[in-house]
Amino acid sequence: MIRYLGWRLLHAIVTVVVAVSLVFIAVRLLPGNPLLARFGQHPDLKQIEQLRAQYGWDQPIYIQLGQFFWQVLKTGDLGNSLARSHVSVNRELLQRIPATVELTMAACLIAFPLGITAGVAAAVWRNRWPDWLCTAGSLVGVSVPVFFLGICLRLIFSGLPTSQRLPADVFDFEPLTGLFLIDTLLRGRPELWLAAVQHLILPAMALATIPAAIIARITRAAMLDVLAADYLRTARAKGCSLWRSVWRHALPNAAVPVVNIAGLQVGLLLSGAVLTETVFDWPGMGTYIASAVLGDKDYVAVQAGAIVICILFVTMNLLLDLVFVWLDPRIRLGE
Amino acid sequence: MLHRLALLLWLLPVLVLLTTSGCSRSAPSNETLIYAQASDPKTLDPANTDIAESVHVITNVFDTLVTYDDLRAELVPSLAERWNISDDGKTWTFTLRDDVIFHDGTQFDSAAVKTTFERLTAKEHPLLFDQARPYQSAYAMIEKIDTPDARTVVFQLKSPSAIFLTNLAMFPASIVSPTALKAKGKEFADAPVGTGPFRVVKWNRDQQLVLQSFDKHWRGAPAIKNLIIVPVKDNTTRIQRLMRGEVQLVDSLAPQDYDAVKKTPLVLLEQTGMNVSYLTMQMDKPPLNQLKVRQAIALAIDKPTLMKIGFDGHAEPAVSMVPPGMWGHDPSLVDHPFDVAKAKELMQEAAKEGNFTLPIQLNLSVMSQARPYLPQPTSMAGFLKDSLREIGIEVTVTGRDVNEHFAHLMAGRHELGLAGWSSDNSDPDNFLYQLLDPDNISENGNNLSRFRDPKFHELLLAGQVEMNLAKRLPLYHEAQAIALRELPVVPLAHTQLRAVHAPRLTGFNLHPTGLIRLGKAKLTSEQPETKPGASP
Repeated sequence: MIRYLGWRLLHAIVTVVVAVSLVFIAVRLLPGNPLLARFGQHPDLKQIEQLRAQYGWDQPIYIQLGQFFWQVLKTGDLGNSLARSHVSVNRELLQRIPATVELTMAACLIAFPLGITAGVAAAVWRNRWPDWLCTAGSLVGVSVPVFFLGICLRLIFSGLPTSQRLPADVFDFEPLTGLFLIDTLLRGRPELWLAAVQHLILPAMALATIPAAIIARITRAAMLDVLAADYLRTARAKGCSLWRSVWRHALPNAAVPVVNIAGLQVGLLLSGAVLTETVFDWPGMGTYIASAVLGDKDYVAVQAGAIVICILFVTMNLLLDLVFVWLDPRIRLGE
Repeated sequence: MLHRLALLLWLLPVLVLLTTSGCSRSAPSNETLIYAQASDPKTLDPANTDIAESVHVITNVFDTLVTYDDLRAELVPSLAERWNISDDGKTWTFTLRDDVIFHDGTQFDSAAVKTTFERLTAKEHPLLFDQARPYQSAYAMIEKIDTPDARTVVFQLKSPSAIFLTNLAMFPASIVSPTALKAKGKEFADAPVGTGPFRVVKWNRDQQLVLQSFDKHWRGAPAIKNLIIVPVKDNTTRIQRLMRGEVQLVDSLAPQDYDAVKKTPLVLLEQTGMNVSYLTMQMDKPPLNQLKVRQAIALAIDKPTLMKIGFDGHAEPAVSMVPPGMWGHDPSLVDHPFDVAKAKELMQEAAKEGNFTLPIQLNLSVMSQARPYLPQPTSMAGFLKDSLREIGIEVTVTGRDVNEHFAHLMAGRHELGLAGWSSDNSDPDNFLYQLLDPDNISENGNNLSRFRDPKFHELLLAGQVEMNLAKRLPLYHEAQAIALRELPVVPLAHTQLRAVHAPRLTGFNLHPTGLIRLGKAKLTSEQPETKPGASP
């Protein structure tokens, strides 16, 4: 187990290094000079050149990359933002990660039960209206752009807030963990807990649609395979009820691909749901990285975001592998 | 058991949705004003920014030595009670108010003024934490600053400057607290300390910036106790939140929202902005060095139609680079008419004289992103391309990231280019000298057309040192006439500044300079009657 974990960790580190290197090079190929933006209508080319040298951008790219990794390994410091040069991106990301985590968890809370239930229902009533409904719903779920869905949700639930995490006039609330649903309760502010839920519900619904649709399709396919198995027919013949056989026998055996896809979805959502966060002004990693790429050309922020995303993604994959081993004893470590 | 649990999980979001969606909001407070901007500020250090969202906050946190009148772009005393100018125009002596304190409790004095301007002008300064100073050049005329006593500041200029006072009213010249700079270091940019009507209390990045009224402000405490600034990127969402009473003031409207807002009880403020969008023609590149070609291009552009296509009808056609309503604008100027037949004639004559055949190929550089003075640059580029094809100019359009675009134009690598300018102050020099004077031809100069007219240059230099306004005005009128005749650029439009606020907000006006000043704003208890179904 330890040897397996060691190999997996090594694999994860190599993945992160390669991914970050690619991002490091890619952001430098983006059109636009991030330093020009800071001088607005009055660019001073001498100052810009001085700053380029200060950031080490006049060095060959492999030296820049080496220096970046060395700095990260030595100090853990991912650098200072280019758009806001006085601020460390470590601090900026730490402020935003909880918002993304909270939104992801809320979306999972909607997507998993919805997707699994819909997939099971579609498989049990194959070629009947629940199946058609699930198939059509999942097709719509993966097809509808998030920004359009956001507009629709705003219109349908016009009484709910459509941006930020708390009402704008709340300024006496100090977060503890950054997860507002927890912090509001820890601070003894139930009225703010309700407000936090209200602010969370629409972006979470928008974010849940694609994973719910994908999980529904995978669950349906996995359940159809399992429902056709002999042992289930035997269980039904011996008097086991339909739903007992489905929930107790079929679903656990169909769980491996479902858990796999669900885990990948969590990884993807944690990577910063750029569109959803942007549509709902959700102050998470997605909006931070999007504005760093599109608005500020902030190399440093993009690199830092890439590292965090890679680590989250790789960690999720590692956890998934361990869950598989637990779920299915036939899966042998290292195979 | 399991399927009951699944059912419960499935129903949980629905239950939450049903139980929370009908909750009513509490009555809005008269002490808290919420202002929605298009994005979060980057920094609140006046020396390091020129981004509008930062400027709107800085304006309310700091004061300057002189400022603009509440309604007009006229200069009035602020932290400086009065000032004297030496006969040679090079020595400016300011007498400071003695009843001013900073938010951190330290007394405002001449040392604070000296520190503020040294941070702006010195090559290096221990209290400057970011080398990017977009407005460093605006204060380059300062040679030396003396502080004979706590209430007196003497600026020694390198040469007389008629624009010096105007530049002192600009936001980069906001007076900062040296004590706070030393204490906070680079954190000053997040929690700055000034003498303005509001002090910064808390800034949750990308969520809310909380300011509170400064009770000891020298003009008296503002009526608004809490000023909360929130970033809302989407235009429509900003208006929706205003309609729902979640915010009371928004700016940066999209043109398509204007008409919708007019159908609601919301108050729409409009003000001609100190900006211009224009077509630059690189005069170092044939055939644009021929006046007839430039005249033909000017005659081929149907500006009223352009206002509809590029600005949804919400802009004023420009005749001069200096916006109307601004001091120095010459209202007697008559624009080149829209006359395609005449334009074709001129092109044929130019072709003979310049020894080229029609049609000619020219490249039009355009920025990819919208700017306040150019909300739809790509549509405008398309319109110009079609217009110029009519007179024998085949245009290829090249779009670039806005910063790359301007770097490209400044380096003179373009032939035709769409550009624009938002004024930093209320002086015509800021348009004419910055954008058309030969002094500003360089890799980072703003004379994009490479216009070199000795008479024009002479007039502007005279205007910079002439302290008498009555004598200064004709200099700028003549300069504008030269620009209209020689056509280094085709001025296209002046866009209007717009803000929308709740009817219960009073004491706020949209300043011609674009500043959002909320020190005198008030909220009343009157509840507006919202028209059902109104939505942008």
